[in-house]
Parts: sequence; C-alpha cells; structure tokens
Amino acid sequence: MNFAFTEDQLLFRDTVRDFLAAECAPAQVREAAAGDGRSPARFDKLVEMGLTGLTVPEAQGGLGLGLVDYVLIAEEAGRAALPELLVDQIGIAVPLLSRFADRPEVASVLEAVATGAAKVAIGHPMDPFVADAAGADWLILGKGDAVHLVPAASVALTAETSVDPLRRIAGVEWLAGNDTVLSDAPGLWDEILDLGAIAMAAQGLGLAQAMVDLAAEYARTRQQFGKPIGSFQAVKHHLATVQVAIEFARAPVYKAAFTQRPRDVSHARIAVIDAAAMAARTAIQVFGAMGYTYEVDLHFFMKRAWALAGVWGDRHYHLDRMARMVLSDDAAIGADATFADN
Amino acid sequence: MKLSFSAEDEAFRAEIAAWMRDNLTGEFAKLKNRGGPGDEHAFFEERRAFERHMGKAGWTGVGWPKAVGGRGAPLSHQVIFFEEYARAGGPGRVGHIGEGLAGPTIIAFGTEDQKRRFLPGILSGDDLWCQGYSEPNAGSDLANVRTKARLVGDRWVIDGQKVWTSLAHVSDWCFVIARTEEGTSGHKGLSYLLVPMNQKGITVRPIQQMTGTSEFNEVFFDGAETAAENIVGQPGEGWKVAMGTLAFERGASTLGQQMAFRNQLDEIIAIAKANGRARDPMIRQRLADAWIGLQIMRANALRMLSKAEGPELPREAYVSKLYWATWHRDLGKLAMDVLGPEAEIAPGSPGTYDLTPLQQLFLFTRSDTIYAGTNEIQRNIIAERALGMPREARA
Ligand SMILES: Cc1cc2nc3c(=O)[nH]c(=O)nc-3n(C[C@H](O)[C@H](O)[C@H](O)COP(=O)(O)OP(=O)(O)OC[C@H]3O[C@@H](n4cnc5c(N)ncnc54)[C@H](O)[C@@H]3O)c2cc1C
Repeated sequence: MNFAFTEDQLLFRDTVRDFLAAECAPAQVREAAAGDGRSPARFDKLVEMGLTGLTVPEAQGGLGLGLVDYVLIAEEAGRAALPELLVDQIGIAVPLLSRFADRPEVASVLEAVATGAAKVAIGHPMDPFVADAAGADWLILGKGDAVHLVPAASVALTAETSVDPLRRIAGVEWLAGNDTVLSDAPGLWDEILDLGAIAMAAQGLGLAQAMVDLAAEYARTRQQFGKPIGSFQAVKHHLATVQVAIEFARAPVYKAAFTQRPRDVSHARIAVIDAAAMAARTAIQVFGAMGYTYEVDLHFFMKRAWALAGVWGDRHYHLDRMARMVLSDDAAIGADATFADN
Repeated sequence: MKLSFSAEDEAFRAEIAAWMRDNLTGEFAKLKNRGGPGDEHAFFEERRAFERHMGKAGWTGVGWPKAVGGRGAPLSHQVIFFEEYARAGGPGRVGHIGEGLAGPTIIAFGTEDQKRRFLPGILSGDDLWCQGYSEPNAGSDLANVRTKARLVGDRWVIDGQKVWTSLAHVSDWCFVIARTEEGTSGHKGLSYLLVPMNQKGITVRPIQQMTGTSEFNEVFFDGAETAAENIVGQPGEGWKVAMGTLAFERGASTLGQQMAFRNQLDEIIAIAKANGRARDPMIRQRLADAWIGLQIMRANALRMLSKAEGPELPREAYVSKLYWATWHRDLGKLAMDVLGPEAEIAPGSPGTYDLTPLQQLFLFTRSDTIYAGTNEIQRNIIAERALGMPREARA
C-alpha cells in the first residue's frame, strides 16, 4: 500500500502552481471578472504546458495521465480560481471520451482538445445548465440514459448568470439524433456524475485552502488593540479548525480519484463542500468588514465554492446516496467489512 | 409576569394594521418587502417618501417620549408596531439610524436645544443619519479613533477618515466620534459630534460590497465643520455617549428585526415544501431548529426589554447580538441549501450582477457576525463582564 503521490506528480503540481501564481493571480482574476471573464492568452499557455492534453491518451497526442495525476492539477485550478474551461474538460469530458477513442470521430475530437484547437463542455442532465457551453466546439449532453456528443452548431444556448462572476453557464436546447449518440449504456451518467463530483471536490479543496491562506496572511498583518489579530486565540482557533477540516477532506479526495468508487466520491464531495463552506464563512469573519467587500479578493473564491457546491450532485444528493449505500439491507458492515476493500 | 396582550393592546394592533393596509398601496405598493438587508438600493427615493408619509401620520418614533414628539408607546405597543409593520411587508426603513440610534442618544444625552433642533427632522423623515464610528484602524478596537476635531471660534473643525459608514452617501447628518484632546489615547479625550454631511469638507466614496451594491462608504473629513454646540455630552466624554448609542442598537428595534427574520424563515419553509426539500430529514431538522431559535430570540428580547430603563444594558443584552447574528448567518446558508442547484442562478442578464432576495440574504448574513460588534468581541465581553474573567492582554 502506498497512499502517496510520486515525485513526478508533485513536481508537475508545483510547476502548475507556480504558473498559476504568476498568470492567474487574484489581481488577474479580478481583471477577468471586470472584462469578459476569459483570457485566450492564458488558455494558450495552459495548452502549451500540456494541460489540455493531460488526460488525453498518448495515441491522440495527450500525456495519457490518469485521475490521480489530474486531481492535483484540479486542486491547483481551484486554488487560483482559474476562470478558463480546464477542469471540466480534462476531468470529466476527456476521461469519458477516451473510452470511445477507437472511434475515429471521437479520436479526432480528443486530438483537437490536446492541441487546444477544440473545447468540449459537459453538463449532467440533472443540472439545469452547462458550464462554458458558449465557448465550446462540442458539448456532451444527455437524453435519458444516452450520452451524446453534439457539435456546437447544433445547439441553441440561453446564457444565464451565475452568482460566481467568473462562471459562464447556459441553458442548452438541442435535438437528439442517432448520429450524435456516444453511448446509451445504462448507468453511464452515474459514472460521469462521479467524475464531475471528483472535479468539483478537487477544486473545492483548492478554493478552501486559498481562502484560509488569504485569511491567515491577513491575520498576520492586520492590527487591532496594538497587535496582529492573528495573535488572538479566537482568530487562531477559527483558522486552525478550518485547516483541520481541509486536511480531513484531502485524503478522501485523493482516494476518490484513485478508486472512483461512488461511496468514496460522495464522501469526498461532502467533506469538501463542508470544508469549503466553513473556510468561506471563517475567512470572511477574520477579514471583518473587509471580507464583506467586492474590493478584497476573497469573495471570488467564496462565490466559486458556492456555485460549485450546487452542481454534479450537491451535499443533499451525495449524503442521500451515501446513506443508501451504508444503510441498504445488503450493505457489508462490521469491522472486517468497513475497510476491507481499500 | 404577563405575556398576553390586553384589549387596549389589541386595539392598537388593529389601528396600525389598518394604517399599513390602507397606506402601503398605490405608489407605495411596490415597496412591499423591499429595501431590506442586501437590497438597500431598491426604491430608495420612494422609501424615503414613505418614511415622510409615516412621519406625517405619527408612525415614526413610536417608542420616543411624547414630550419630544414621539408616541410614548409602552413596550407592548412597540412590539405590536414592529410586528404589524413586518407582517404588512413594510419596506426597509431609510430613517432607522436616526430613529433607532441618533434620536435616542440625543434624547438621553442631548440638551433641550439639541432635541428641538434635531428630533423633528428625524420624526418627519426629512433628515437621514449615519453612524461615524469605525475607522481603518479602529474596528473592533473602536477606542483607537484618530479622527481629530478642534474648536476654532464657534466651530469644530474635523480632519480624518471614517469607513464602513452605512448610508453616508444619502445621509444629511452623521454622528461622529472624534478625538478632541490632543495627546490622548483610548477612551479618553473623545467627543460625540453631530456633523452635517452636505459640505465641501466631506467626501464620500462608496465601497462595493460582495453583493455588488454599495451600502457603506468611506467618509473623508478634510477641514469639515460643525457648530460648537453640536456636541452631545461634554467634550472628552464621547465614549460614554457612544456606548449609550450602541445599547440602543440592541433595543426595541430588535423585535422588528425578528419579525423580518420570521418572514424570511416562512419564505424558506414555503420553498422547501414546494421543491420537496422539506422531506429531507436534515433540512427538516434545520428548519425546525431555526424556528426554535426564533422563539428563543423573541423570549429573550421581551425579557430584556421588560427590564431595560435608559441606555444601560441589562445582562441579557450581552448574549442577544451574538445569538441573532449567528442564527441569521445560519439561516442564510440554510436558504441556499434549500434551493439546491438553483442557488447558483442569478437573475438578470450576464454582465450585470443582480441577485435574488435569498442570494442577497445569504451574502448579507455573512456580515451579521461582523457589524455592531463581531462575534469574537461579543464573546470577550460576555466572558469578561458577565463571567468576570480577566481582560484579554493588550499590547
Ligand atoms: C455591513 C456593515 C455595515 C457597517 N456599518 C457601519 C456604520 O454604519 N458605521 C460604523 O461606524 N461602522 C460600521 N461597520 C463597521 C463595523 O462596526 C466593523 O466592521 C466592526 O467593528 C469590526 O471591525 P473591522 O471590520 O475593522 O474588523 P477587525 O476589528 O479588524 O476584526 C477582524 C477580525 O479579528 C477579530 N478580532 C479583533 N480583535 C479581537 C480580539 N481582541 N479578540 C478576538 N478577536 C478579535 C474580529 O472579531 C474579526 O474576526 C459596518 C460593518 C459592516 C460589515
């Protein structure tokens, strides 16, 4: 057993973290929010780093890496509140498409994704809107059990506004045709939901850490009563409590990326939703009135966490699913069953 | 102890209920349930007109003594007034800082001249007020105020900066805590000044909130002036007056606030029933818990106000801010959890940042645990004053 990342995985993570710290700093996120929300130049650099091809099979020109490699990258995207469509694509759409890479039309989409020539958006039929549908060349959409790969030209979009000023969501109208079916295998949307939940959880982890880091930095410098507010035990304990929640969410997220089992995924999802909500509430509190402004960067992270908590199964959905798994009549219980299948 | 209302109370209830029914109509109908926290921008001018309309009918200053133009209503009537106002969907009051804070402070600490000069404008809805306490370096540590005022002839001349000043951009007057004795620090040497906002020595810069709107402001004083007599209490005794104002902040108006909370909870319950979430056991229990919290707040407020005489706070008051702020912050979160995936969808077209009332509630309630004394400061006060624990070490 080895619940650890390789040196290469961590190195790549660090490279991405440094890149985003330089290219997607909070000031740049703020700039994007004031403009049209997306930076083509930054996206090109993500392509150059190989990030759009991270999970694309090598045969289609990608790096052929798996979800364990990707989960660290998704976490960094969250930490930077990256506005561009990356995580949904490499963590949900591409792993799905890769299963059908033997079909020439799918293979060519994967190739185009790796080179940055095409973008693919994906929305679960359970969610009313699709993120980044507007900039996408292809959309993965559902009708009943069937999963369709639909060209942008065949859909009509109605843009909606998200509470996250940097999220771009749209309602999608389209007609399902035989030529767009990727698969109609029953249960496939459930597996896709798990990929989506892992993507949201990994980003949520990064968002939560970013909020705690911002608040800790502020607590070190903001003075009241002649001392840094971080010297007050009330403030210290607040942030330490959130850090504990984040650490306890981290292991489940990494495990879920490894096993991709529904119960691990739901566990990770719930742990992160809770940790991120606590991080947001606490970070605002530590910032005082500053934390309630648009002028301090914190709210960008808070609003992303807020928005992502609702899609790909919210807390309610995943807890309910978890309860059914744990409480079903044939659930394996007892000390020997609980951890037996790690 | 007597918890029921008398026949006379009920007659008063019928009177205010009828007035609201007959007057929140026509041009004012659209103000129903608008202008609350997070929605402060909605129909501001119309709400100001409604404030004046209420003033003409004698529905401002309900709890103020008759001698200064109020209704002199007993506590039971004040409770009823706030209940019926909220039940009718009365709009967020634009004059609440004057009616709830400035007025009571002037009544308690001001001179007869000041009462004659300032109270009628508050009652009529003509003068709106703002609270100039916080500064960049004086938040929780309010006594660290650096804004200075010096007496030059018959004028106070004021230099410095306030921040987070709610409604400063629409206010006519501001009550300002300023340091009037050079070389002093902490609570000593502060004075409580009433300053007209409309003058060239004052610059107001709105601060954008996470809701996208701007309810609070930075206020810069650069040689701003006010008449020498516009000081409440003695020079150097401003801290005592300022603390008196804070006590009013937790007075009878909290009963009205609870009615607004009640309306919010009712709306959330209605949504939960409609979208099926009310069947979810966790949501069910949180809704029931929220309801219990409301009853606790109401019982505590009635108990506290039954004892309150003047600006000193009874023991029960120390716990109330902490309780309602935390309860309300949880309610905001509960609202979003009840909405589920819909919680993310904002109204309006892309490029604008409009939010639904419940989204505004969620964001605004993030600040409930910060303004009027943060939760941490409230806990320190409870530990130190109610439990007699040693004071936190200061630098
Ligand atoms: C919506 C809103 C409206 C407002 N309106 C007004 C207004 O009209 N007029 C006005 O004057 N002010 C107003 N304020 C300001 C408000 O009074 C201050 O925000 C509040 O006093 C806290 O100060 P601060 O924001 O500087 O936070 P800080 O004092 O910097 O506090 C930051 C964090 O440190 C903690 N902390 C500080 N000291 C201690 C300690 N000793 N022990 C433990 N923890 C500590 C705080 O609890 C908080 O979590 C408003 C604020 C908000 C959010």
